[in-house]
Amino acid sequence: MCGIAGIFAYLDVAPAVDRGELARMNVRMAPRGPDGSGDWFSADGRVGFTHRRLAIIDLSERGAQPMHSADGTLTITFNGEIYNYRALKAELEGKGYRFRSDSDTEVLLQLYADRGPAMVEALRGMFAFAIWDARARTLLLARDPLGIKPLYYADDGWTLRFASQAKALLAGGAVPRDPDPAGVAGFHLLGSVPEPFTVWRAIRAVPAGSTIVVDAAGPEAPRVYYDISQSLGRRAATAAGDAAAARRQLAAAVHDSVRHHLVADVPVAVFLSAGLDSGALLGTMAELGARDTLAVTLSFAEFKGDRHDEAPLAAEVAARYGARHVVRTVDRAEFERDLPAILDAMDLPTIDGVNTWFVAKAAHEAGVKVALSGLGADECFGGYPSFVDVPRSVHLLRPFRFIPGLGALARRGLSAAIAAGAKLHPKSAGVLQYGGDWAGAYLLRRGVFMPWELDGLLDPALAEEGLRRLAPLSHIAAAYQFGRPLGDFDRVAAMETALYMRNQLLRDADWAGMAHSIEIRVPFVDPFFLAALPPGNVLATIGAKEAVADVPRPPLPQASRNRSKTGFVTPVGRWLRDAGSTSGEVTFSNASRAWARRVWQAGWTGSAAA
Amino acid sequence: MAVRMLALVSDCYGMGGGIARYNQDLVEGLAEGGAQILVLPRNGAADGIALPAGIRQEPPVFGRLRYSLKSLWIGWRQGPFDVVFCGHVYMAPIAWAVARLIGARYWLQTHGTDVWESRPALRRRAIEAADLVTAVSRGTRHILLGWVELPPDRMRVIPDTVQDRFVPGPPPEALREKLALGPGPILLAVGRLSSSERYKGHEEVFGALPALRAKYPTLVYAVAGGGDDRAFLEQRARELAGDDGAVRFLGFVPEEDLLGLYHLADLYVMPSTQEGFGIVYLEAAACGLRVVGGVGGGSADAVPDERVGVLVDPSDRDALVAAIDGQLGRGRADPAAVEPYRRTHFAAAARRLLARLVDRGRRKRDAT
Repeated sequence: MCGIAGIFAYLDVAPAVDRGELARMNVRMAPRGPDGSGDWFSADGRVGFTHRRLAIIDLSERGAQPMHSADGTLTITFNGEIYNYRALKAELEGKGYRFRSDSDTEVLLQLYADRGPAMVEALRGMFAFAIWDARARTLLLARDPLGIKPLYYADDGWTLRFASQAKALLAGGAVPRDPDPAGVAGFHLLGSVPEPFTVWRAIRAVPAGSTIVVDAAGPEAPRVYYDISQSLGRRAATAAGDAAAARRQLAAAVHDSVRHHLVADVPVAVFLSAGLDSGALLGTMAELGARDTLAVTLSFAEFKGDRHDEAPLAAEVAARYGARHVVRTVDRAEFERDLPAILDAMDLPTIDGVNTWFVAKAAHEAGVKVALSGLGADECFGGYPSFVDVPRSVHLLRPFRFIPGLGALARRGLSAAIAAGAKLHPKSAGVLQYGGDWAGAYLLRRGVFMPWELDGLLDPALAEEGLRRLAPLSHIAAAYQFGRPLGDFDRVAAMETALYMRNQLLRDADWAGMAHSIEIRVPFVDPFFLAALPPGNVLATIGAKEAVADVPRPPLPQASRNRSKTGFVTPVGRWLRDAGSTSGEVTFSNASRAWARRVWQAGWTGSAAA
Repeated sequence: MAVRMLALVSDCYGMGGGIARYNQDLVEGLAEGGAQILVLPRNGAADGIALPAGIRQEPPVFGRLRYSLKSLWIGWRQGPFDVVFCGHVYMAPIAWAVARLIGARYWLQTHGTDVWESRPALRRRAIEAADLVTAVSRGTRHILLGWVELPPDRMRVIPDTVQDRFVPGPPPEALREKLALGPGPILLAVGRLSSSERYKGHEEVFGALPALRAKYPTLVYAVAGGGDDRAFLEQRARELAGDDGAVRFLGFVPEEDLLGLYHLADLYVMPSTQEGFGIVYLEAAACGLRVVGGVGGGSADAVPDERVGVLVDPSDRDALVAAIDGQLGRGRADPAAVEPYRRTHFAAAARRLLARLVDRGRRKRDAT
């Protein structure tokens, strides 16, 4: 886990790499890598890489980056971890490749030498990297299948720049800050900026599961090597046994993934809530032989001693699996103190990430470098209300879609009623217009603001242009339309994974974790794990979100199962609502809308953005 | 198998001007790589011109409707074509239609003001439908991406190219005598004097001359080129320059004298704010002449660094005077800075883009 950046002056007329610019990009990412910093420039000055290191595997100087192949023709700058690097290394050694270090970085170099850009298909892990191939004079940019590690690039037609953070690209000083209407509209609609857009027109994300090759003619179109809907479609075609077999399959998949995610030369901790997912991770770690694991739990001063406090139950789970338990209490005053730093670390606007900020902060204070998180479990086990609400909405309201103009008419009427004081949520106006379509129903469920509201929030011309460029319904539908048609469960899983998890949860985990130099590992976000699970309809049938409690031996206590049914509450929504300076009833939706406004008003496309 | 391309262009062989020159350079560069190109121009006949191998040019077709019909006819009957190249954004809708009809890839070239001004919805759709859009400068690319949605890989830059004849040389004193330019320093601007192109910054330079001549009493501003705005500019020169001898309007300068003029002058001064690229800056620099250009448009691509010159905001008279004074003290431009803009680099870049475009596979006829 590190920070990477680079510049490639690919067109002959482009000036050589500006070393000062690369240095500024590096400095902006300093918290991502406190253990080391390195630069490399090609002899002709046309390519430059920089790297900030958080040492996790092979802590020696042999693991330092940018790293070169033995013959000097390949150079890499890499952020992330490759969990199957030992197996890949053995395979490459069998082919005659010789290694000089024990790092996963060197495995990437040798694997590229062996397979070229197609190497990414063999990798199990989270990664974003760039490889300069001096023989072919090409730059390869690659990002992991589900988008755990970020990678952004800016191409001005002469020169391509890339970095782990969009704000690092801006900090270099050569990338303009003009707003991207699609990204701005996307943030207001969904609460996070949908990739490949950012809020800056000049900056795009390398799409998750894609590689981009840059040669003397500039960047080629991203090549997609992994797509979640295609993967879920393939899984749906696999044979499923009975419920007991499905539970065994689920347990085996979790064990295998956790085992892979424990590969490290430093201790691996866990973020432990009172929920089933993180408890199952800790239990599985213990079962696999991890001893004296540090478990970090957030507790909120407002909830001390009441039923919302997660600390007591987390303590019970920690004790059950022999973990050292650290409870970190956070209060409103600390939130308000940290708010400027939170907004500064936030790489793209988001309505979430505050919880992760504090748990990562707590982990850092406890001396942790690496921690497992239960992020992603709700997407693969169907833990969100959307798994019920969205299919129900589509099946119920689909017939109304065939009455031309009815949805729009109803929306206008209800919007007028809401404006006149009717006590309805603004989103409810769009139920008939959007609810009968998968993408529309998802937008209603996950949306912060609705498309027809943007005019009142943003410059109307920018809002119109943003909606045109983003095409929100098509953008959402693209999450499940690649490959064979999916069932209801998998369709929602594909949308939640490709949109909410990727653009919000994973991005937030990256900036909030990295701000405290914490590597967050996510065993439930792993294509190998997803493929090893039973088909989506079987997961729904066996109640996978509760079944995960039985994965470890011994299983999670009954209290954890009961707790998962009553739900979880944090005061963060109230803090956000207050930071957003609105009044009225506190619901998560209200808080999100107010907080979204607060975040946006922090000034993203102004001169202070970097 | 040679790539076959149908080039729908406003001007090519048989016409002058920057766009015609660019199109000729482009098709020749591609033909040298083995492409077979059929050019269908709106203006200019290639009669009597020996076209390079691989290039044919149809007679010009006047009138939008006739041109559109002939484009469709040629695309249908003289194919198959792998690529439809469109040399001007005004023709993008018809090029898009032809490419869809025949299932060819569609490559659109943009220059500068063609994509800065008018932005009708049909044109935007026709641009967004392109498989490849090329711009002459980063500035043009940036402006275009402000109103159309194109991923970075489909929006590339091929900078304008400098002809090989533009090289440094000794100042031809006979020309100085012929044009009665005096001992100098000589500030030079070359280009059409058009009332629609007042952004070129002549008037701002006129306004800077009194201050400059206070330091350089024999300094003159030589304005080469004719056009409908000459009378207006002469009037403005009389009003602003403070001395009738400070500005010399040279009118149209024949090709054989143009190079000499570059060798004779001391500084190229045209603080234009809306150049699509500013090829004249590079031609001047290739001849060793330092440049004072204007901030805005695509000029930054033609004046990449201080080896060539500087860009100033022409509305800031003090900055303009300081820039001219500063550049006059720095001697000649470094011709090495212009080397990457030479034709070999240009042609190689164009061929790389064509190869990438062809690698993408043919369009489906029903795809948009």
